[in-house]
Amino acid sequence: MDIRLGIFLVLISSVISVAEEKKPGSAEHNENYDEVKSLLAAKCYSCHGALKQKAKLRLDTRDLMLKGEVIVPGQATKSLLIERVEDMGEDRMPPLEDGAALNPEEIALLRRWIDSGAKAPAGEPVPLGPSEHWAFKAPKRSVLPGNNANPIDILLEKSRAKLGLKMQAQPERTILIRRLYLDLIGLPPTHKQLHDTRAWESIVDELLASPQHGERWARHWMDIWRYSDWYGLDKQLRNSQKHIWRWRDWIVQSLNNDKGYDSMIQEMLAADELAPSDPSAIRATGFLARNYYLFNRTTWLDATIEHTAKAFIGLTLNCAKCHDHKYDPITHEDYYRFRAIFEPHQVRLDPVPGETDFEKDGLPRVFDDHLDAPTHLHIRGDPKNPDKSHIMEPGVPGILADFAPLVESVKLPAYAYAPASRNYVQKDRLDPVRTEVETVKKELTEARKKAVETPKEEPKPKSEKETSPEQHQPQFTFKDDFGKPNPELWELIGKGWEYKGGAVHQTNATRDTDRLILRSQVPRDFEMTCNYTHTGGATYKSVTFRFDVSADRKYANYVYTSAHAPQPKLQVAYSRGGKSTYPSQGLVAQPIEIGKLYTMRIAVRDRLVNVWLNNKFQIAYLLPDRKSSGKLELSGFDATVAFNDFSVRSLPSEVELTNTKNKEPPPDLKPIDSVEVYEAKLAAAEAKLASSQAIFTAEQARGNANAYKQASKRAALLEAKALKAAGKYESKAFATDAGKVKAAQAKIAKAEKKLTETDKATYTPPRVSKKALETPAHKEEQYPSTYPTTSTGRRLALARWITSPKNPLTSRVIVNHVWLRHFGEPLVETVDDFGLRAKPPVQQILLDHLAANFIENGWSFRNLHRLIVTSETYRLSSNPTGANAKTKAADPDNQFYWRMNVQRMDSQVIRDSLLHLAGTLNLTLGGPSLNPDNAVRRRSIYFKHSRDQQDKFLKTFNDADHLQCYRRSESIVPQQALALSNGKVPIEMAEKIAGLVNSEDFVGMVFELLLGRRPDVAERRECETTLADLEAAAIEAKKPNATQRARRGLVHALLNHNDFVSIR
Amino acid sequence: MDINRKLFLGRSGLGFGSLALSTILEGAELGMNGLIRVAPKAKSVIWLFMRGGVSHMESFDPKPALNELAGKSIGDTRFKYVQDPEHLKKVRVVVVNDANGRQRNKLYPLQVGYKKYGQSGIEVSDWFPNIGSCIDDIAVIRSMWTTDDNHGAQVQFHSGRHMLDPRVPTIGAWVNWGLGTLNENLPQFIGMGPRFFDRSDGHYLGPAYDEVKLKIDPKNPLDYAKPQGDITVEEQRLGFGLVNRLNLLSQSRYPDDAKLDARIKSYELAYRMQTSVPGVVNFDKETEATKKLYGFDQNETRPFGQQLLAARRFVERGVRFIQIMHGGGAAGAWDQHSNLKSGHAKLAMQVDRPVAGLLKDLKSRGLLEETLVVFATEFGRTPGSQSSNGRDHHPYAFSVWMAGGGIKGGVIHGATDDIGFHPTENPHYVTDVHATLLHQLGLDPHSMEVPGHKRLEKDFGHPIQNIIA
Repeated sequence: MDIRLGIFLVLISSVISVAEEKKPGSAEHNENYDEVKSLLAAKCYSCHGALKQKAKLRLDTRDLMLKGEVIVPGQATKSLLIERVEDMGEDRMPPLEDGAALNPEEIALLRRWIDSGAKAPAGEPVPLGPSEHWAFKAPKRSVLPGNNANPIDILLEKSRAKLGLKMQAQPERTILIRRLYLDLIGLPPTHKQLHDTRAWESIVDELLASPQHGERWARHWMDIWRYSDWYGLDKQLRNSQKHIWRWRDWIVQSLNNDKGYDSMIQEMLAADELAPSDPSAIRATGFLARNYYLFNRTTWLDATIEHTAKAFIGLTLNCAKCHDHKYDPITHEDYYRFRAIFEPHQVRLDPVPGETDFEKDGLPRVFDDHLDAPTHLHIRGDPKNPDKSHIMEPGVPGILADFAPLVESVKLPAYAYAPASRNYVQKDRLDPVRTEVETVKKELTEARKKAVETPKEEPKPKSEKETSPEQHQPQFTFKDDFGKPNPELWELIGKGWEYKGGAVHQTNATRDTDRLILRSQVPRDFEMTCNYTHTGGATYKSVTFRFDVSADRKYANYVYTSAHAPQPKLQVAYSRGGKSTYPSQGLVAQPIEIGKLYTMRIAVRDRLVNVWLNNKFQIAYLLPDRKSSGKLELSGFDATVAFNDFSVRSLPSEVELTNTKNKEPPPDLKPIDSVEVYEAKLAAAEAKLASSQAIFTAEQARGNANAYKQASKRAALLEAKALKAAGKYESKAFATDAGKVKAAQAKIAKAEKKLTETDKATYTPPRVSKKALETPAHKEEQYPSTYPTTSTGRRLALARWITSPKNPLTSRVIVNHVWLRHFGEPLVETVDDFGLRAKPPVQQILLDHLAANFIENGWSFRNLHRLIVTSETYRLSSNPTGANAKTKAADPDNQFYWRMNVQRMDSQVIRDSLLHLAGTLNLTLGGPSLNPDNAVRRRSIYFKHSRDQQDKFLKTFNDADHLQCYRRSESIVPQQALALSNGKVPIEMAEKIAGLVNSEDFVGMVFELLLGRRPDVAERRECETTLADLEAAAIEAKKPNATQRARRGLVHALLNHNDFVSIR
Repeated sequence: MDINRKLFLGRSGLGFGSLALSTILEGAELGMNGLIRVAPKAKSVIWLFMRGGVSHMESFDPKPALNELAGKSIGDTRFKYVQDPEHLKKVRVVVVNDANGRQRNKLYPLQVGYKKYGQSGIEVSDWFPNIGSCIDDIAVIRSMWTTDDNHGAQVQFHSGRHMLDPRVPTIGAWVNWGLGTLNENLPQFIGMGPRFFDRSDGHYLGPAYDEVKLKIDPKNPLDYAKPQGDITVEEQRLGFGLVNRLNLLSQSRYPDDAKLDARIKSYELAYRMQTSVPGVVNFDKETEATKKLYGFDQNETRPFGQQLLAARRFVERGVRFIQIMHGGGAAGAWDQHSNLKSGHAKLAMQVDRPVAGLLKDLKSRGLLEETLVVFATEFGRTPGSQSSNGRDHHPYAFSVWMAGGGIKGGVIHGATDDIGFHPTENPHYVTDVHATLLHQLGLDPHSMEVPGHKRLEKDFGHPIQNIIA
């Protein structure tokens, strides 16, 4: 299917600016007119202005209104404009669906203006049509003089000179070097680096080549590209993807390799189509996988559309979801054509070498799955109301579609659509099977050896019952009336136990820590009886009878009564691995009362537990398993309790227990230990290996029809044989268990059937990748294990359109972002909206020159950074104090960059700087995301960053919003002061920094290291006085190492100095 | 002082902190950002939010008809119409194929009885007898509705926007943004209890307008409240002192740097906050009678009671908005899809005495007049049963109440049909609660905006005039 992107180009009449005309009678300025215009702009322009001219009418100047014959100056009553806005019926303007009616004051305003002559200032300019919008025309280089001066300086100085603006001087070099380090690598310079005397350009090149540069700037792009680790509810993945950090590593590496921005965009949107056999490039599609949303495909695609457009081309496409864009030439149809580009794509995890568990690792990526999924326009943006009358074809906004490339579908290699064909996948899956064969061989050797050594003992099947220990134990009985302490019978844990009045009392309400442990080992099958009273306690007020308690107490089975309102109860429960389970089948509501005597009787036979309370049968419950070697314990949980007596004995075989209704999985049956069984096991393992090998051979033959047919036939045969061998083994190994034997025989029968039907036999393709669920109702198993053999090529066409040198937006948008991050202010204020509302920037010539230059230099970020930071403009002082008055007055907002702007460190830079100055920053690159924790010493970019996980310290300093962050906000709030002065990391790092600086002039050295300049006399005096005060305070408080402690205090204060977090 | 002068002062935030409390309370017309249009009746809000969805039929909107119709299918009763698709179309589904948030057809009888309370004789369920005893100070709104059938409705109740829409600031953030500070030693917006999953309030207003999260622990009541390391009080005093003096020296070097000035102020407030906040959550000076009033004597009521007593202490000190969430877990504890009777009984017990205690305490101290208390939840529960003994989410109708701050007491506003399915009079979307609250604080719910963002583009809400005294 070849469709030209944007074939549905919408013809928008471009309105050429009309020459300024002066009309007699309009010379008088009318104050009302500004209000009139803003009212018309809000209510009417979207249909009757530069963007659209419904009924061929424009209302955006007085003359156009006259031309359209909708106003009669001096006669509001005769003006069509008034008639229509006052109409309450079908002819009302604006129409019902386009906005609210004008209110009486607004209508009165229009009337007054018309009645007073409909005056407008002379020379009212006619707004330009959309195709004339500055940002929609290709950026052009400026012609520059032949000297080697930096174009940024030339272009800015030209305008500065025109306005008489004087540049500030450079600040001291240490301030400049600190600025450069924090900007390019996000880490402050060491003392030695502050005093680097090499040429500025050499330092710049060194920093740009440093691996830390990629990390620093990757974080900026992660803001814009919405990096987020996965989040959901508990274990349910709802947003983004696991292992999305692979995309983050791709960003860092791409920047460190100076990959062109055009290639980066192409890989992020379509690496799976561009380089289908290159997992390294496919990592980039994490950009799309990040938008994954389990519950609602429209929400998912809306985010994809909105942020692809905002990030790369600076257009608010999202405003056309429900209706035509109100300000930009983007139609409602454009929105759904853009959606059609993404309609086929889905997300999956591909296997990575050396790991077969997707919880541990995998590569999140996108691929086209539903090649023919239609896109329908949603009427008024309502997904429940799709316009099924026609299908939206993929396309880009019509206004910029003339250079859109063809959509060409991409034929994929087997590597891409059948991940099981990959060599490393085969190896990772076959290795454990091979190992299993070797293990079984050894087991067989052992078994044979044993058989020779003990020839007389026939390996006869044993039932589980026979192995039960109680068969070999004498009858067991135990009784205690708790009349006096019996430490030889009971181990008492905890201090609250008291023997009084013929009972043992627990007088402390604890949570299980205090307990009575029976020293004797009770038999596996036993029966116990106990009279006891809940005497009080806190929340749960439970009395617990535990048995089978392991030494570490992580394994136990137990029965308890709880007097906890509102649900007092009797419960059978168990702990496995320290985790408690309270099965509902083991629960009976009981009105347990404080102070009342209860009789508990528990009988246990193998896994079956019967419980009686006050001689009334209550519960039959089957435990999942038993380890009867453990101890028996009595205790309270949040309760005080009195145990009056206790007895336990072997459960007589004649006692009949009530069977349970609950069906717990049976315990793992141990296979029979015999040579014959091991021989069968080996045969099964070898058959499995042969089958697996044959299956992977078949997978590798995909793409070659004949070879695949042959190989899959063989694989099917060997798979059936392996099934049969497994069945044989299981039938021998578990010969005592009728159920297992039956299942094994079924396997054999199934295998034999397959072996006779060789013609239609197919093998089970291995599932080695994991497609993300399209909705919560789906199951992974219902998805095929291979994927479509072609991709639509829609995303690749989109990427090529975005990165076309003819695209006027892409380069401008990114250059603006780069400029913002170097200078603290953008050239275009609305960094994510270059549409018609974005006025031509003051520095348009500069922006255009840099944008054109960026494309010509292979979209190289490194080149652009170098150009910017080696300019004189970048190296100006940020301090306006002392600037000449005319300059300050003429350009108070520094629009002509006559000085640098002060910036605050990004949150990540603050934390990284603290660690780096203390010499504790671990500079390891890349790898899985880390849980936020004060003990982590890696760079902050490696912290998990999602709705649910965000480092608290970073958040306090305006960390990126994971949903949208085209520009970091900057607040100054007391919580930041508390974080820096009371937080663990700043305190620890202050101590380390104080220990590292070893100088006669401690104050001067740390001041310079932390703030980038030497202290002046007054500052030095303050620091020295406080240092002395701190030392005195430490001595007074009898703290050791008072001097060092005082130094830590000084460093800690300097880290809280405004100039530490400021980049001057 | 003419209005323009006042406007300038307000907009630039100049010297606001230095204005005396009395100036602000006595008809002050200035906000930090929001232009106060009407004389404020309230100065603070205590926002109590029951997470998970409280059954309106079993709290403040009695529906005896459910007992008569129990076991019948809605379709077989005269209320068949309530389930017409036309009546249900408001709801926007987030979770497709969700097991919850569905129509439950078999009508389920009331699980609790009702009594009439006070002069007004308003009926309150037997799970809330103590709140019932305050009913003459309360305005019950029985006709709330929302559009999210899942717990995203918590986000919606706080922000006015559905889960599928972009996140916008919560009501607490707007109040914080719109009003000036009354106490330079405390944060203006405090949160306690288990937060719903949207953990920010400020959104496009910025993190400065997020709640400051607080724990009832005088030793460590807020994040970074005390040094996480071995630093003595004296060392800290010396450190803050040096920071302050060095920053002031920097001011002579960088006199044009406005951010430096803000930074100095932020350190001053931070230093004061560390000492003032722990004092507020220390209840040593409260009498035993007061503590008992809030339920300190019972394990079940103590945790919520402590938060409410802290809230009163913050109100006394001029904090504007105290947001207290009740009911832990991802969805919220009140989410009784099963065991509604025992679950609601237990949870109601945890809040009933403390809430009544708060109202009585505020009243006896004369604070109720200027403190607006809101008791709310994200949606109601279905008149039909889910599983055998629960109720499902019900976004079509639910109840909230307000008290104090110029709200009429002993009134019922709005009504639902006899099975509590749809509002039958005066239906209110969630932002009407916000608008009422803003109005009582003297802010105009229509005119609040920052560059690029109006408070809400639509559905900004209207004050519920009938409950305003």
